[in-house]
Amino acid sequence: MSELGRLLRWYPEVWRSRYGEELEALLEDELAGRPPSRRLRLSLAFAGLRERAHAAAMVGGEAPPTERARAGVLVVLGAWSAFILAGASYEKLAEHFAGALPAAHRSVPQSAFDVVVGAAVLAGVLSVLGVALSGPAFARSLRSGAWPALRRHVVRAGAVTALALAGVAALVPWAHGLTSAQRNGGDASYGAAFLTVAACGAVGLALWSRAAMAAYRRLTLHRRTAVVVSALAVGVAAAMMAATVNTAIWWGQVALHAPWFLHGTASGTPGSALDPQLALTAVVMLLAVVASLYGVVRIGRSWVDLRRSTG
Amino acid sequence: MPQYSVLRNYALRSSVRVVPAGRRSHGDPTLLILTSLAGGPKHGHALSKDIETFAGVRLGPGTLYGAITRLEGRGLIEPVASTDRRRPYRLTGAGSTALADAVADLHKVAVVGATRLGLSLGSPA
Repeated sequence: MSELGRLLRWYPEVWRSRYGEELEALLEDELAGRPPSRRLRLSLAFAGLRERAHAAAMVGGEAPPTERARAGVLVVLGAWSAFILAGASYEKLAEHFAGALPAAHRSVPQSAFDVVVGAAVLAGVLSVLGVALSGPAFARSLRSGAWPALRRHVVRAGAVTALALAGVAALVPWAHGLTSAQRNGGDASYGAAFLTVAACGAVGLALWSRAAMAAYRRLTLHRRTAVVVSALAVGVAAAMMAATVNTAIWWGQVALHAPWFLHGTASGTPGSALDPQLALTAVVMLLAVVASLYGVVRIGRSWVDLRRSTG
Repeated sequence: MPQYSVLRNYALRSSVRVVPAGRRSHGDPTLLILTSLAGGPKHGHALSKDIETFAGVRLGPGTLYGAITRLEGRGLIEPVASTDRRRPYRLTGAGSTALADAVADLHKVAVVGATRLGLSLGSPA
């Protein structure tokens, strides 16, 4: 592949086979032998990703409304996967927080924490319902030959998950032989092993989400099922928003009444409430909520268009 | 027709640009491409040069081909049969109608603006 051809790797393959040569010719004319600038490279990368988003019906109005609604559901599903990781991080950070708070100031953060857990459980149940509802369509798609296209996604996700599970199996007996302080940063080798296994788990989750997205894209859903799955996606997005708001309330309350809990020092020690890991967790949650809201808007607009077009 | 409303919206947005010519943002290039192709079929590089000449806007290759993809998808332009890698495009009937519609809308706004300012609308240079 030529250097200019490599610049087009961000574009979808179908797009490249239709317009690739023309765009390469245009780049040759525009550059007239000069090397491509960083700005041009960035702009082509951005344009290529935009074409991918168009091809996946995630932006633009060219695709039929049902495809746009499906893309909206996929955006919510992707956001939910990221949210699960952020939620797991929050759950770990908030471990034993109640004991650090004075009894008089425990009820609000405890309620906020309970809402986060409840919202996460609700979103999980809604996701499982969506998968169950799509089951018959998934079986039909497998019977009609979708497996070869899904196999590599499933094999990759399965391999990484198996690795993560093997890591957990090795970590559990190790953790039992350690004190609480050693488990929470005191033992460097345990900490590194824990982070490696957690990273494997995160990659596994991302790969399963990718596999689910690839499978969902190939499903032919009955209209009523598609409407219900869309409604479930809206519910998942609402649950994520509730969890994020309550995480913020929890953070604010703990920062106000027990900031030492956030920086892991002795009770009564003053200090900043801006814990970097919690801040990163909150940013991921917020980004997931923004993405899911985009998905919800796309679902809503698509169904309005479909309603209009069918009278 | 949805493609007409897209162009009308663009026409109304682009007609209120107040940024000096040298600092204009690229914006939505679909109207610029249709206007360029109204003068005859052109390939990518010729389109880019023509648009720069009549509108003072330089479209990046990614932006230009993104717009060409969208316009071809909506049936407003079509490729001309060619063995060259530099494939020319031309307006379709729907593209001509859409452009005429957008230009008429732009003209209405321009006439109102010119009248209120006491200016006469001359031909573009």
